[in-house]
This record gives sequence, structure tokens and C-alpha cells, in this order.
Amino acid sequence: MAEVTNWQLNRAMYYPYEESRPTRQAAAVFDTNKCIGCQTCTIACKTCWTSGQGQEYMLWNNVETKPWGSYPLAWDVRELQLLGPQTWDGDTYTGNTIFEAAPAGERNIAWKPTELDYAYPNRGEDETNVSITTKRYNLKLPHDMWFFYLPRVCNHCTYPACLQGCPRQSIYKRPEDGIVLLDEERCRGYRVCFEACPYKKVFYNHTTKISEKCVFCFPAVEQGIQPRCMRNCIGKIRSFGFLSKPEEVREDNPIDFLVHVRKVGKPLYPQFGLEPNVYYIPPIHVASDDFLTMLFGPGCLDSIAAYKKAMNGEDPELLAALLLAVSTDRIITRFKLVGNRVHAWAENGDQVVDMPLKVPTVERVPFDPDLNVYRYNFT
Amino acid sequence: MAPTTQQTSRRDLLKVAAVGTGAAVLAASCSDDEEYTGRGVRVLRASEVPLDPFHDIWRDAPFTDVTLGPQDVALPQRVKPSVTKVRVRSVHDGKKIGFRLEWNDTEVGDKTIRVDDFRDACAVLLAPGDADESLRLMGSAETPATLLHWKADWERIVSKGDEGLDQAFPNRSVDTYPIIHEIPADEVGIDSYVAANATEWLPAIHVKNPVAGKAERASSVEKAIAYSFSTTTSAPTQDAEGRGKWIEGDGWRVVIVKPLGARDEGEIALKPGTVATCAFAVWSGGNRDVGSRKCPATKVEALELDA
Ligand code: SF4
Ligand code: SF4
Repeated sequence: MAEVTNWQLNRAMYYPYEESRPTRQAAAVFDTNKCIGCQTCTIACKTCWTSGQGQEYMLWNNVETKPWGSYPLAWDVRELQLLGPQTWDGDTYTGNTIFEAAPAGERNIAWKPTELDYAYPNRGEDETNVSITTKRYNLKLPHDMWFFYLPRVCNHCTYPACLQGCPRQSIYKRPEDGIVLLDEERCRGYRVCFEACPYKKVFYNHTTKISEKCVFCFPAVEQGIQPRCMRNCIGKIRSFGFLSKPEEVREDNPIDFLVHVRKVGKPLYPQFGLEPNVYYIPPIHVASDDFLTMLFGPGCLDSIAAYKKAMNGEDPELLAALLLAVSTDRIITRFKLVGNRVHAWAENGDQVVDMPLKVPTVERVPFDPDLNVYRYNFT
Repeated sequence: MAPTTQQTSRRDLLKVAAVGTGAAVLAASCSDDEEYTGRGVRVLRASEVPLDPFHDIWRDAPFTDVTLGPQDVALPQRVKPSVTKVRVRSVHDGKKIGFRLEWNDTEVGDKTIRVDDFRDACAVLLAPGDADESLRLMGSAETPATLLHWKADWERIVSKGDEGLDQAFPNRSVDTYPIIHEIPADEVGIDSYVAANATEWLPAIHVKNPVAGKAERASSVEKAIAYSFSTTTSAPTQDAEGRGKWIEGDGWRVVIVKPLGARDEGEIALKPGTVATCAFAVWSGGNRDVGSRKCPATKVEALELDA
């Protein structure tokens, strides 16, 4: 066991391998407030990567409705149950990570799913936290009655549980972009990774009998193009880019800005200890601080406050960074707000975004005599 | 194990031979359920090395009971072994060497389709030296070990074919599979992708993973070479064979056979009249044994080959 830094826990922790951060980390920020649960991301991934025989049940990308949804069945609740009650002291995690709580002879605490746990991918979909009654809970913010969508992909963790679990070292993390890949030639289908990943983002192929996982569309990323699930997001909730090492944060890198500068992007279940690299802007309408803190860590309430400020026009720069989500297929590495316009550039210097922060409102006359049609304005 | 009719008649024949023809030598060399009293495992010289685990020749070979223990070296471990004993017999015919392993397991694990299906398996480790303990854990960087790994799911494929997705998931429904959409979904198999030159849809098969699923198999044993833990690599020449049978109440009887000579780099070449190192391991699928979660022999044995 080596001692490594986990900035999400604000402390050192134990991990089987030495700390070895990639030069930069492929990462994403998902704004849960904008997700409409359309599953376009799920299908974009499914049709691209997992439409072969043996992959039927695989959802490298899935969208679950919280609080009740989960795929596989109750994955997070069962992992949390194994870990037991844990504590934070302010921003510092004082509990055990899944590695630190490993039982004798194992590398981490791991819930072991059965085939049946994969039989209900949309369990809990669109279900509210409490039963719907005639009382109108939702006329105030936050809502007493709520649900929200949680889109999930592999987090390409800084400390991947899948990687450390594999006794054959068939899983590796690329030093150039931190993408975690499973070597399809070396794997023997032992499924230790499949059990070890607390997010349950490694899958076992029923036909090839070898494990598979999300590849973050690395062939696209290598060409400066965003992964498919990100590019196709209908709700434009997904910002994809590269997160710098904590000591090399750049304010003009939109992902660094969202995660490290404005701190609106929060990790999912940071207490597991993997330093996951898909970050979430927590929902602003959920009337359970405890639930949100359990999912996104103690910083989630500050994140909500910062997000609200941006939405109220008090932080135009943050609004600018958020607006970049799915504004281009290219990977944005730099952005700038100049007056009312948001500019963004790809790594090779191409300007890939130039758009207004606020779109001007145009009111048209209802009747267009040229085309002899009526048009209505809705605002 | 209850004696089969075949075994009973073999015993009777031997009695007749001993009494009727005065072939005392033959009777003495027959170790009908006899424990080997020498060191380690004796490899009896026989007229042939039968694949059938119930062939009479196996009764002639004296057995060695090998104690299996926890795998408590590499992570993840199997702290409490699911199987604690394997009975080993061995014969050679000057060309091939065979092992018959016998252990009890209360349920058959011969499927690997579902995420929670784990197979029963057993392995023979062969390495040079005379019971060289340093090679027990899959050989060493300097001295590789030859591993013969029998897999119950491969045995099933050899004898009756794989379980198949339709049987594993009787309620499944698939409209179509891309690229091979002209084939009805319930008739699609690995072969369909191979024929359509579309194995990209079966990633591990596309990159030629040697242990990836196969529609058909010629052998239930994989020959592999290892230079310590985590280094097991399928050998280029797959010339080991096996046959296994599970009997209710008794468990598995498995035969593993390989040529005495070596054909691959790192493979051991065994010679009649010499001693080598051997070890054994068993996996119980019902206990989710897989990979390093196994029940290995607590020590290596000397493998004494008859001249
Ligand atoms: S989310 Fe799971 S599969 Fe992905 S890198 Fe982390 S541990 Fe591995
Ligand atoms: S495509 Fe975007 S909006 Fe639709 S479910 Fe996926 S993440 Fe949510």
C-alpha cells in the first residue's frame, strides 16, 4: 500500500500503487439541473460500442433517476452499506475509503452483483422521493417532492478500483490523458474489476466471456473530438475537456474553472476514495441536504449557491463556462468572456465557439406578408 | 467413490491373473486404490495414457493425497479454501504424461455466461528440479512453470456445446444485431460474426484473446506458461487434452494429458526415469473461485517418473 493524495477528500489515503497522475485528465462536468432524462447519451454509446452479442445488458452510459433509480440494482446503496456509516470533518473526509476498509485478503470493499441485479435498468425511473399526493409540494424551491436524473459513465478515476483489483494487471491508465482502458487481449474474465468498481462500470461480455468497460471514446479524444455521449447530449448538460493536475490549474480551462476555481462540479461519492473524474453540478431543487451531501460530498451546498449566483446574472464568467457545454464537437481547452461574447478555442488554436452570453430577444410582427403566414412569439 | 462395474471386473480379472497364471509381478505392481508410499507423486509407466477418467489404467497408478490450502499470497486471496484435498494419480507411456485428479465438490460449475457464473477448474503445475518449493507460486522469473488448466466450462463445450444465451436468458428478446441483421437474432452466434468478417463486435475475439469464448473447442485444457503470479500466458501450441466427469456425491474426476516433450518456450520437457516438481490447484465455481481466488496445494511434490 502506498500513501497518495486525494484532493477530493482533502487528505492522504492508501492505494495499492504509488501516486502517478496523468499529464492531464480527461474529465467531464454534468449539470444535473439540465438533464431531461432523454437517454440520448445512453443510445449514442450503445449504438457505437455495445451493440454486439453478449453486450445486450451493457450500459457504459446510463441515466438513473435519483433517489430510487440505480443500475445495477441499488449499486450505491449496497456499496455504502458495506462501507458502513462514515464521517466528514468539514471538507476533510475522516472515514474509510473502500481501499482502507478492505477485508482480509481483498484489495477493497466490493459489492458483488448477480445477473438479476442487471435486470431492471430503469427501476425507479421518474419516481419522486415521496408518494405523490394532491398537496402541491413543488411551488417552492427547493421542492419537498423531487427527483433528478443522474447520468453516469465510467469516471476514469485517478485511483481506479478496477485497475488495482485486477490480479493480471490487464487494466491501465493512460499517462497522456488518464483514460482507463481494459486490455481485451490480456483479460481472462476473472471479474475482479467488475466487482471492485464501486460505480459498477465494468461489464462482463456474455459471449466473449471477457470484461469490457467505457473507453471515453479515446479514438475521438485523440483527434480532439469529444466522446459520443457528450456530443449528442440533448440537454447540453455535458462539458468535456481536460482537468489539470491540482497544482497546475488554469482559470481559462473551462473544466478547471468549473471544478477547481468556481468549485461547482462535484465528484460522485467521493468518500469511496477513487477521485472520480466525472463531476456533477448538484440539483438546486432537492430539499435534502443530507442526500446531496451523501452523493456529492460536503461542498455540494456551496456549489448550489455558486450556481444560483450564475443563473441570477451575478457571475457571468461562470455562466459563460456553463454555456460552453455541447456548443461544439471539438474539445475546448481555453475560453474567455469578452463583453457579452463567449469565445473558446481547441487545443490547436482553432476558435471553436463565438457566441453571445445573452441571446438578444427579437419580437416579430405576427403576420409575415412575404410568405403570407402568421407567426407567434412565445417568451 | 462407488466402484463401477468396469472397475469391479478389472479387479476380478487381476485376481484371476495373479492366481491362475502365477503372474505375481503383475499383481504386485497393481496398486488398486493404493496410496503411494514414496515421495510426492509417482508417474507409473503404462501401456497408454487414457483420457477416460474411469479407464482401468488409472486404478493401477498409486495415488497421492495432496492437501489444498488457502491462497494467501497474492491479492485477491482465498483465505478459506473451498476444497481441501485432491487425490492425484499419474501415468506415462514414454510419449505422454497424464494426471487424474479427483476432488469433491457438491455442485457442478460448468457455465460462464452469466456475470455470476464461475467455473470449476483444476490445474497441474510442472517445473524442473526436485520438489523445488520456490516454484510453487507459478514458477519464477528464471524458471518458468508449465501450467495445465482444465476448465469445466470448456469441458462442457467440448462434450455438449455451450449453454447459449437463449438458455441462460430464456426471456431475452433482441430485435436484431447490427451488421449481421439478416440473421435472425436467436440464431446469431460467434460464427455469424466470423463469417461476416465482423468480429469488431466481439472485442476480445477480434483481438484474438486466447481464452475468449468459442462456439467449439477441441480441448478442455489450456497449456500456459507462467513466470510467477500475474504472468500466466497461453502457450502458442495447445497440445494438452483433458476429460472430466462430475458424479453426484463424489465430485469431479478429471484427466489431464500432455506430451512428455516440450514444444513451446519455457515449457518443461519431462524424461522417463527423472524427477521434477509438481503442484496442484482446484477452483470451486460455486464458491466464486476464479483466478487467484483458488485452493492451491500447500506444498510442491516431487514428480517421480518411472523409467
Ligand atoms: S469508474 Fe469504475 S471502471 Fe471506471 S475507472 Fe473508476 S473504478 Fe474503473
Ligand atoms: S443526453 Fe444529456 S439530457 Fe439526455 S439523458 Fe443524457 S445527459 Fe441527460
